[in-house]
Amino acid sequence: MTELTRRGFLGAAGGAALATGLAACAGTGGSSSSSGGGGGGNSNTIDFWSNHPGTSKTTELQLIAAFEKANPGLKVKLTDAGKSYEDAAQKFNAALAGGSLPDVVVASDVTWFNFALNNRFADVGALFQQNGLSTTDYVDGLYADYLYQGKHYAIPYARSTVVFYYNKNVFKKAGIPDRSPESWDEFTSWAPKLQAAIGSGKSALILDDGSDYLDWTFQSIVWSYGGAYSTGWTPTFTDPKTIHAANVLQGWAKSKYMKTSADSSSDFGAGLGAVLLESTGDLGGFKDLNFDLGVGFVPAPGGVKTCPTGGAGLAIPSGISADRQNNAAKFVAFMTDPANTATFTQATGYMPVRKSALELPQEKAYLAANPSYDVAVKQLPYTRPQDYARVFVPGGGAMIGQALDKIVAGSDVTSTFKSLNGSITSAYDSQVKPLLKS
Amino acid sequence: MTDTIVDEGVDAPAKGAHQAEAATFSGPVMRVVGYIAMVIVFLIVALPLFWIVITSFKQRQDIYTQPAQWWPKNPTTNGYHLATTTIAFWDYFRNSIIITAILSVTKIVLGVISAYALSLLRFPGRTALFLLIIAALMVPNQITVISNYALVSQLGWRNTYQGIIIPLAGVAFGTFLMRNQFLSVPSEIIEAARLDGAGPLKLLWRVVLPMSWPTLIAFSIITVVNEWNEYLWPFLMADDQRVGTLPVGLTQLQQTDGITNWGPVMAATVLAMLPVLILFLALQRHMIKGLTAGAVKG
Repeated sequence: MTELTRRGFLGAAGGAALATGLAACAGTGGSSSSSGGGGGGNSNTIDFWSNHPGTSKTTELQLIAAFEKANPGLKVKLTDAGKSYEDAAQKFNAALAGGSLPDVVVASDVTWFNFALNNRFADVGALFQQNGLSTTDYVDGLYADYLYQGKHYAIPYARSTVVFYYNKNVFKKAGIPDRSPESWDEFTSWAPKLQAAIGSGKSALILDDGSDYLDWTFQSIVWSYGGAYSTGWTPTFTDPKTIHAANVLQGWAKSKYMKTSADSSSDFGAGLGAVLLESTGDLGGFKDLNFDLGVGFVPAPGGVKTCPTGGAGLAIPSGISADRQNNAAKFVAFMTDPANTATFTQATGYMPVRKSALELPQEKAYLAANPSYDVAVKQLPYTRPQDYARVFVPGGGAMIGQALDKIVAGSDVTSTFKSLNGSITSAYDSQVKPLLKS
Repeated sequence: MTDTIVDEGVDAPAKGAHQAEAATFSGPVMRVVGYIAMVIVFLIVALPLFWIVITSFKQRQDIYTQPAQWWPKNPTTNGYHLATTTIAFWDYFRNSIIITAILSVTKIVLGVISAYALSLLRFPGRTALFLLIIAALMVPNQITVISNYALVSQLGWRNTYQGIIIPLAGVAFGTFLMRNQFLSVPSEIIEAARLDGAGPLKLLWRVVLPMSWPTLIAFSIITVVNEWNEYLWPFLMADDQRVGTLPVGLTQLQQTDGITNWGPVMAATVLAMLPVLILFLALQRHMIKGLTAGAVKG
């Protein structure tokens, strides 16, 4: 084949160019929601997209095996949906464009609303009702987190709250009572002693940084000062109380009592900090520490509810056939039934999402043996739903995180929050407001 | 994951020229400065790698400590054990090898033959075709992800090798690089070969390619490293370890909420780096050989 004819060659070159063009810009196929609900999903196979929160893959597989045993006609396929909730949302987003929707998908406190607003998630409350399943046993606050205009768009699954972790050895050395502080002002008065006790190069307080959910944990501090990110849809970053809370944060940073870290739990676990404000989901990871771990409520002066909930729920896409949705509802109900939520939480450190789970003898025994876990459960009544500016405005959490990073680095609080107010408002105006069914 | 590898050692054959130049900056001072610069560059490259390797041999409580441990106090291979058992590591590894091999071969072959056509064969519309291909180069693949996803999904290719491989096989970068290399081949040589009766394929295989090894090897290494580290598309396509690649699999070692155990993560990183490192070391000699082999006696 040493002799290439000119024509044959032209054809080949054309073909090559066409292939390149195809690879560079393929046409968009419309979502084929007509064909049995997108991508030809088999109605007896439940495709469950999970990012395995809290490295729960083995637990998930174990629960799935039990489900298949109890429902011989149904199969469950566990799909890896990435390393974070954002990854899972991205994968789901791509599937919305191209069909092949999952039957059940993990949706976090920050990602579910946007899908619900765009009618991409089904109303699980109604689906449960159709299938004779009850939602009354879910912890009210956790179930209400997915409520929008009278409909629920997810079932709580891997739910966490913020708790106050502290290093008992450092507290003892500093001569500070063995408890979490009444208020953040009290903590500020403790900080110099803690700093002296823990030594230089370490810090009295470790927080996440803005890329790693400081916007989530800082809510608790803001609320304790009576401020908030927003009231309803109106951002309130310029509220004097919110600004005061941010000034307190900046004060800690300036006095070198605090450091923010992208891997705060590991830092704290290595003994680099006296106090950590973090998710209950970290409890499972605090093993073989070389100090005594204290776990307490987040400071709530005057009994104000200052504890944000977080984590993720299970949602069912609206674009799949009714058969698949019904099967999905059964599966979701199974994954979150009292016994299974107890199993799941004991493996990960998340919270039981069922009221009756706390009555189970196995869970009672477990909580008695692990008082740290009990703290998080006891704190549940003091939780409060998160501010819209963080969880409902697209990209809100990330914007708030970046602003807080700037404040920690020393930029002026008032002007930073003023511009944040503007960017949150414009994101709301362009991406949420037009879709709200007033 | 695998970082781009800085080649050290290319200076060996080119020493003669360097020394002639260095003689003008005579004296030990310059030499010392040169060595210091070399050491600094070496440290910048080697320190993170060294840290990854020793962390992979540390026990969990020795990873986050102050002051930092520059040598594992209690060396353990437990990290490697966990990395290869807690996730289906070898499945991901196999998929990565398969996908990278097929993709790299496809890209290199397509790149070479299309570049050859665009540089040395004359046919109508050649420039327009080249511009089209360059235009394709300008479109980042993140932008085409959604439409590609739709297309592949309708073909029923989700969670298959071909679904991952075919959309990634676009090749504009290689075409661009190799075309410019082929154009730089002296035209006297091309003409001489044609006069001696070499057909287009012989001309490519016996004359032009042997003069282009360094560029081809560099292009191949870049391609392999890129495909090996590709995350977004395989992540969207793959559902589990049946076709998922290493970058996708390794994310499961990280914790969404809670504490990442860095020992296994680093161990998996080291294992994932090895194939590319070996390939680079194997090909590096040829790169230098190519640089020094002159085709024209001057």
